[in-house]
Order: sequence, then structure tokens, then C-alpha cells
Amino acid sequence: MIDQFAFLIAEGFKSFYRNKLASFLCVITIFINFSILGSLFVVGYNTNSLVDFFRSKYSFEIFLQNDVDQDVFTDFIDKLSKNNIIASTELIDKEKSAAIFKEEFGEDVVEMLGYNPLPLSIKVFINEESFEFDQVDLLIESINTYDFVDEIEYRGRYIDDIEDRINLAIFLFLVFVIAIIFLSYQIISNTVNLSMTNRRDFIDILKYNGASGFFIKIPFYIESILYSVFGSVFSFLFVKYFFISFNTYFGVNVKLDDYLWVWIIGFSIFIGLYSSNQSMKRNLYE
Amino acid sequence: MVEFKNISFSYSKDSGVYDIDLKVDDSEFCFLVGPTGSGKSSLLKMIYFDILPSEGEIDVLGYNSKKTKKNSIHKLRKKIGVIFQDYKLLKQRTVYENIALPLHINGVGRKKIKDNVEEALELTDLVDYQNKYPDQLSGGEQQRVCIARAIVKNPELILADEPTGNLDPAAAHKILKILEQINKEGTTIIMATHNYKLISDRDYRIIELKAGNLVSS
Repeated sequence: MIDQFAFLIAEGFKSFYRNKLASFLCVITIFINFSILGSLFVVGYNTNSLVDFFRSKYSFEIFLQNDVDQDVFTDFIDKLSKNNIIASTELIDKEKSAAIFKEEFGEDVVEMLGYNPLPLSIKVFINEESFEFDQVDLLIESINTYDFVDEIEYRGRYIDDIEDRINLAIFLFLVFVIAIIFLSYQIISNTVNLSMTNRRDFIDILKYNGASGFFIKIPFYIESILYSVFGSVFSFLFVKYFFISFNTYFGVNVKLDDYLWVWIIGFSIFIGLYSSNQSMKRNLYE
Repeated sequence: MVEFKNISFSYSKDSGVYDIDLKVDDSEFCFLVGPTGSGKSSLLKMIYFDILPSEGEIDVLGYNSKKTKKNSIHKLRKKIGVIFQDYKLLKQRTVYENIALPLHINGVGRKKIKDNVEEALELTDLVDYQNKYPDQLSGGEQQRVCIARAIVKNPELILADEPTGNLDPAAAHKILKILEQINKEGTTIIMATHNYKLISDRDYRIIELKAGNLVSS
């Protein structure tokens, strides 16, 4: 059994070696395809930070005048809470504002200026389920009529515009990913086709000597695994060192998934096995 | 061993085999004779289920052409050695590797492969050629490699499709001698040939085909 397995493994390697040019081109194509796919994967992996940005579409912040009266202020919050389109409110007092400032800019504003100039503010979270831009605009308009309201910061429409563009990019990204997968499938399938045509005598002799269909297929499966592994290992190394260099050069922090290599190599092997299996179905039973 | 039960098969309107009823017993050596296109090769292909009859059925070594599933045909073929007129040797492999191939398929261990291949090389007088490639051999030598490949797994049945068709009389005679020796050890042999001269002085059963019909058996 071990000898038989060793024979089949060796046959897979021989087949890979004998198709020199086709094997080389197949590995190169997989390398290019999976380098693009891996890079897209890294980009996708880093979009989590965007989610927080998009969430702010459902909130706005009201900055109040420094001299606002406590009763007026409490009454104002009560009124806001009763509004149907508002899910909740969060009061950001002067101390909290100073803490946020320190977290974002690394400086203690009170220590720096000797007093706290930051305004009192209220963060308003809108009910996501019944969210409508027109209603939010009306609400903001009505809040703006209060004398003690200094400024309202809302980037909803701006975020919505970005979101539309990103959705389009995600759609194009998916089309691109599907095209790359299809291209990889075709390349491996055609290379295995070519390999099987070149080895028609070998297949016939195996068949006439009692080899089962699975036995005949194994060397070709191994051959396609070799294409996938070589192509995807190189593409993983390329993607990894590309983003490390990118981070260093641009001083950014694009994160790499610890299991990126598993995704790239595993997915490539899956496509390799699937496409070679489809190719063998066509060739062995015709 | 092999039984054809009223089988018919046709490639086209005028080519095929028709209503063949025939039985070959264990350890028999028989010749399948007839002119080119008489259906000899078709009959041999039916024995290893490469083509299946459109009518009737064949029993080979306990396998029935109607009952055997497609994915079980390889089990029958493991018990049969096939010798081809065009040798069907792998050019990128040595004589030794070509002969060892059926044993790899059967999952035989390395030590046993070595013993069996050496035995087959001796029987076919190819010991000195084991490291050569098919292209370095004459037609007769290549055919002996093909025979060695067929016998190496000790099959119960050997099918030889025009094994002497491309050979000169001396080489053809040598091939026949080897097949006779294999048959003496108990292996059933069915050999297709149109070389009447070669077999005329031998006292073996002759099955004659003409235009796909059985003339005598």
C-alpha cells in the first residue's frame, strides 16, 4: 500500500516535471491570480475600521453654549428622548470631552490652557430601523432653533455618499474575485487537460491493466495540487512582504490576518482539485 | 473461463460481430483467425470489457458483461494480461519500469515487484535489456517487453491481439514459443492472428471468423 502510494506520488511529480512549460505558466498564472486575490482579502480584512465610520451615519452631536442653564438643558434632553426617531442620547460633559481630547490628541487641554474650553455636548443616536434622511434633517433643523445650541455635527449624507461608492467597489470586487477564481479554474483545468492528452498512452495502459478510475486520477490530482501549492505559496509571500513594505513606506498599519496563508493556499488547492476533477471527468469517460 | 452467449456488436452497418456463441476453457491455447476486419480485435476487446455487446452476454472469469458495473471492470482486468500489436509501451520508461507497471497498479510491494519482473525478464529473454528504453529495441524485443508486462502479474488469461503482426518470421516464432511456454504453466491464451503459416503446424484450437461471423471453432 505504501509502495503503491509512493508510486502515485512519484507519478504526480513526474507529470508536473514533464509538462515543464505548461506547469510553469500554470504556476505563474496562479501566482498572479492569488496575489491579487490575497491583496483583496487583506483590504477586505481591514475594512472593519470603516464599519465604525459608517455607524456614525446614525448619530449626530449637538454642541451647546457654555452658559446653558441646567433646567433648560434637562428639559431639552427630555424632549429629545421622547422623539420617535431617536433611539438614545449620551451626555458628554466637559470632563468627558477633555478625556476624549486627550485620547485623540495626546494632550491634556486643562493642563495646557489652565481651564477647560471644551463645550458640553449631547450625542444623539438615531433609530436605525426607522432611519430616513428627511426626518433627520427636519430634527436637526428644529434643534438648531434653540438659542443654547452652538453647533450640530452631522455627516450622514456625506457618509451615505461614501457608502454608495464603497458598495459599488464591493460589487466590483466580487465580480473581480469571481473572474479571478474562474480564470484560475480554467488555467488549471486546461493544464490538466493538456497533461492528460500528453499521457493518453499511460492512461490507456493503466486502464487495460486494471487500474481503477481513482487510481488513474491520483497522479493528476497531485499534479494540480503542485500547481496550486507552488503558485499560492509564492503569492502568499508576495502579498505578505508587499503589505509589510507598504506599512513601512507609508507609515500606515494595514493588518494581516494570521491565517492569511491558510486562506490563500487552502483556497488555491480547493480550486486546483475541483478544476482537475472536472477536467478528468471530461477526459476519462469520453 | 470465457463464454460468449449469442453476442452481437456493430460499429456500423457493415462492421461488427454477429451472433457469436463460443466457449474457451481453462488452460486452453486457442487462435482467433480471420482476415483484417473480420472482428478478431472486437472479440478480444469484449473479453476485457473495453466494448460491450449490444446483444447477448459474455462471462469472463466470473464477471458477466450485463451484471458487472462500470466501476468494477478494473477488477476483471487485473486478472487479464493484454498483448497489443502496437506494443503500447511507455517510451519515457525503461523496460524494467514498463514491465513493473501492472504490479504497481495491483499494489504489490517493492521486493515482490523486483522478483516478479526478474522472472518475467528471464522468461522473455530480456534480462540484458532491462535498463534500455523501448526506442532502443527492435520490434521483436518490444513485443517481448509487452508479453513480459502481460505475464508479470500472473494473469489467469492472456489476450494477444496480433502479437506477431509487425514481426519477421524468426521473431514471430520466438514470440509464439514464449506464449506456448506460458500456456504450459496453466495460463489460458487467446491469440488473434491472420498469419496462418505461423500456426498451421501447431495442434491448437482454431476459431475462425469471417465478416463478423463465426465460421468454425
